[in-house]
Formats: sequence, C-alpha cells, structure tokens
Amino acid sequence: MTVSWVDIARKDFEDAARSRMLWGFIAVFVAFLAMSLPVAEQLFPDAVAVTPTKALSGVAMLAQLFVPGIALVAAYMAIVGERRSGSLRMLLSYPFSRRDVVAGKLGGRLLVTVTALTIGYAVASVLVVVLYGLPDPAAFAGFVGAGVLLGVTFTGIAIGGSAAASSRGRAMTLTIGSFVGMVFFWKPVAAGLYHAITGSLPGLHADRWYFLLKRLNPLEAFRALTSAALGQEVSAVPRFPVEDLPAYASPGQPDLATRLVGEVPFYLQDWFSVVVLVAWGVCPVLLGYWRFERADLG
Amino acid sequence: MTVLETRNLTKRYAAGDQQVIAVDGLDLQVEAGEVFGFLGPNGAGKSTTIDMLLDYVRPTEGSATILGRDTHAESGALRRHVGVLPEGLDLYGRLSGRRHLEFAIDWMDAGDDPDAVLDRVGLTPADAARPVADYSKGMQQRLALGMAVVGDPELLLLDEPSSGLDPHGIQQMRTLVREEAAQGTTVFFSSHVLGEVETVCDRIGILYGGRLVAVDEVERLRETVGAGSELRLRVRGEVPVDVAGLEGVESVSRSGDLLQVTTTDPRQKAAVVTRLTTAGVEILDVDSEEASLEDVFTAYTTGETPGGEDESAAASGVVP
Repeated sequence: MTVSWVDIARKDFEDAARSRMLWGFIAVFVAFLAMSLPVAEQLFPDAVAVTPTKALSGVAMLAQLFVPGIALVAAYMAIVGERRSGSLRMLLSYPFSRRDVVAGKLGGRLLVTVTALTIGYAVASVLVVVLYGLPDPAAFAGFVGAGVLLGVTFTGIAIGGSAAASSRGRAMTLTIGSFVGMVFFWKPVAAGLYHAITGSLPGLHADRWYFLLKRLNPLEAFRALTSAALGQEVSAVPRFPVEDLPAYASPGQPDLATRLVGEVPFYLQDWFSVVVLVAWGVCPVLLGYWRFERADLG
Repeated sequence: MTVLETRNLTKRYAAGDQQVIAVDGLDLQVEAGEVFGFLGPNGAGKSTTIDMLLDYVRPTEGSATILGRDTHAESGALRRHVGVLPEGLDLYGRLSGRRHLEFAIDWMDAGDDPDAVLDRVGLTPADAARPVADYSKGMQQRLALGMAVVGDPELLLLDEPSSGLDPHGIQQMRTLVREEAAQGTTVFFSSHVLGEVETVCDRIGILYGGRLVAVDEVERLRETVGAGSELRLRVRGEVPVDVAGLEGVESVSRSGDLLQVTTTDPRQKAAVVTRLTTAGVEILDVDSEEASLEDVFTAYTTGETPGGEDESAAASGVVP
C-alpha cells in the first residue's frame, strides 16, 4: 500500500469535522431556515399562496448566500492554516507530494461541505414538507443537486485560494473577498461596463454578451439553474436596480428569452450554468495548486 | 556510504530590494551511521538548510541528496526513509496523541506498536488518549519525536529537538537518539546549544551566517573551544604564586577579591586551582564560565583553525 491523497482526505475530514466554527455555521443556516420557512410568504414580493416549490425557491434564495458561506468557512483555511501553524511541515515529512496535499484537502473538505449541506438541506426539506406539502420529485432533485454543486464550487474556490495564499489574510481576500465581490459588485460592474460600451444601461432588450457576463457569476449560474429546476424564479440577494427595466417587469425577473433578440445561444441555456459552476470549482484549484507547488513553505 | 550530501547548497531571499543570503554555498557530507550535530546560532541558516533537505524550500543554487536521491525531484519517495522532527511544528489539536501515532504508522506503511513508541518518548496511554490541544509544548515535542521514529527510518532529521523539553525529556531524547544510532540510523541533529550536540554527536558542523565555518569531530572541537574558557575565583588576600606561568593559561587579572583566569585548555582550570591551594590561598568561591557559542564561532572564524574562514566573509551573509 502506498500513501496517497486519500490518506490526507481521511485525516482532514476527521480533523475538520471536529471544528466548532463549522457546526456553528450550519446551526445558523438551519436556524435561519426554521425561522423563515414558516413565514415564507414574507420572502416573496407579492401576496401568493405558498406552494412547496415556492417554499423551496425561498430556501434556494437563502442558500445562495449560506451554501457558499458554509463551503468557504469549511475550506478556506484548509491549506494555509496548516502552512501558517506548522502542521503542514509535519504532514509533508511523510511520503506525500504537494499534489497529494491539495487533492487530499479538496477531498476532505468536499466531504465536510457535502455532509453539512446534507444536514442543512434535510432539515429544510422536512420543514417544507411539513409546512407546505410534498414538492415535485424532479424539481426537488434539481433543487438539491444545484445546491450541492454550488457547495462543491465554492469548496474548490476556497481550496484554491487556500493553496495559493501564504497568509490567512491573503486567503481571506482571495476566497471570502471573491464571494463578496460576486454578491455585491458583479452585477453593478457588468451594468456599468455595458453603459460604458453602449452608452446606456441594459434595458429590457440587451446584447447577448451582457447576459453572458452576468451568467459567468457562479451565484447567477446557481440562480438560473435552480430557477429552471423549480420552474419558479429564485430572487437574487441583494437585488440591484441597475437595469433599466420597464415598471411592469420589476416584480419578477423577465424571462431571458423575451429579453434577447433571436434565439437563446447555448451559453445562455440552463445547462451552461453547470459548466460555469464546474469551471469555477476546477480553475481555482488548478491555479492554487500551481502556486502551491512552486512556493517556499519555510 | 554517504547518506546526506549537499553541493553548493544556496538559498537567497529577496527582502525588499536587497537580497538576504540564508544559506551560502553549503558543502556537507554525512556518512551512514553517524550522529551529526548541526550547530549554529539562531538565524544561522540551519532551518533553511533543513527546509531544503525536506523540499519545503527550494534552493536558489546547488542541490542536496539523501540516500543518493535528489531531495527535490524524489522528495516523496525519500520521505519513507527519513524520519523528521521539524522545527516550529504544530500538531492537530483536535485529534488525540494516539491518533497522531496511528496516522504516522499508517503513512509510513509501518508496523510499529503505538504503545511501544509512546513508552520510548515517555508518554503514558492516558496522555495519548487526550486531544493534542491539551498538551504542553514538551508533550507535543515528545509526541512529534515519537512520530519521527515510526517506520524505522534510515535517516533521522531532528531540528532543535530539545526545544520545549524539560531536562528529563532532553535526557530521554538523547537516549532515543543513541538507541537509533546504535541500530545504524544516521542522525542529523540541529541545535543552537553546544552542550547539547557535543554529548550525543560524533561530528559537528558549525553554521554561521549561512556558511559552514567548521566541520570537526567533537574532541577536536572541544580543544578549539577551550580557547577563551574562563575561570573566576573569589580569593582572600595576596596570591603569592605565578599562575600566569602555567601551561595553557592565557591571561590572569585581579580586581578586588576576584581573580579571572583565561585558559586555552579547559583541563588547565584544575591545575590553576591546585596551584593556588597548594600555595595556601584561601578560595572562597569558584565559578567557571563555559565558552559560549559565540566564542566557538569566534575561535573558528578568526582563521586560527584549519577550515576556518575569515570573519568578515562569514559575517557578510548574516541573517538578523
């Protein structure tokens, strides 16, 4: 038997699963759900009867902040934490390569994230069923799948940042900073760019590249994916009125097909959101590993 | 057979717009079965050297081999044959001591009995059951030492192994090093305390300012170190005999009732005391100052000994 990344993943899961901070975060997520679901009507802008899918879309709306949060908290210190404390020196004194470390940490923390999400989603689902009845199985599967994919993506971002960074602060900037950027700045920047190029804010009809730019945000990709799975628009959090939309379109998001001239290109179709999320999960890990492999770990 | 060899091993760091030389053209050979002491003050480049041997840090120039394999290109395969106690290490606070050993045994693909290892480093099964976060620095160091010897490595790399250990722990560590050496394990042992390496090591290399200023057998080193060793006596009344004339006595000075005698050979201290007492001088107190590590470096860097370098050259690469 030779040692491999699997051994690191096993050690890492055992160690990280004992972290109080992670469990605290899951508890907050669950508490948030338990408080907001019984009053799910409040989550929607207009008065509607809450169906199971509508309730799930409310959960998904919260999940777009909490799932990345859980994944980032679970993983952003994975490598840089050991590097700063010195336990990485101990770990690397055994027959592991640096690639084993990155792969093992990714595996271990993915398991942590998925475990945490399983618990969070299980509680949420039970609440939805108890309060609003059984949702459509296919819609439910898509809802869970998109949530897990989002968790996996952000674990990748966190591990990549953790591998690339030489200090805790830098790891936070790379991971949590990226997340904050995606939440608060992506859409205004995209609209600003559109304004700079075309001279006007994106209206009901806009150029395709603008929609692509928005969709390249993993949070937006998740929203598109979950909305498609539930057949029910999941609101963005927070909402920025940066688009010049007619008043009648404001309550819900207008359908993308009506905002485009001509056919919906492949990169704006729902399945492409999966590609976006996978790319956001994989590329940071590769870049982080590339940096880590060349770093002096003194 | 050479177990560890470095050739022109060099590490330069950029510090602002200046370059700091941490390790400067190190050429070193450690033979099989040897206990090699790697001595130098803090900041001399010991840890950087060991970091390069472990591939934590990549050399700017030169290379190193352990058991004939390149420490960078074949680092993964090498580590199965090398037991390491890194400096400034940290363990996994949430996991128990025993779990750490079990992981080490697993990772080294070894068949060690965790209890036997615990016993060798002086930890009880009750200690081992507790999470490592509850351990004192000394207990962590004991555990780490135990983890280093798992899998019967051919080479033990111990970086400042006594840090955090109490005198009893240091004694146990020395015993362990001797036991390992008796089984044919090569030991590379770094320290900034002379007394520590001279009791366990066969040969000592002195690193100063990133350069290897001397490599010597312990006996020879001790002779050189003798220079500058000082004897301080509190005496009453006149000293009617000639102490300065004794062989090996370098200088004698008197201020008040304090008599300071500098010898080139520490064995002469006894002769000094004998001559004084025979002459009827009343000695109130005897105090002897060991040659400090600084003195050792001075002795080696002022060019008095073969292999010595001139001081200015050695000092040029000093890392603060």
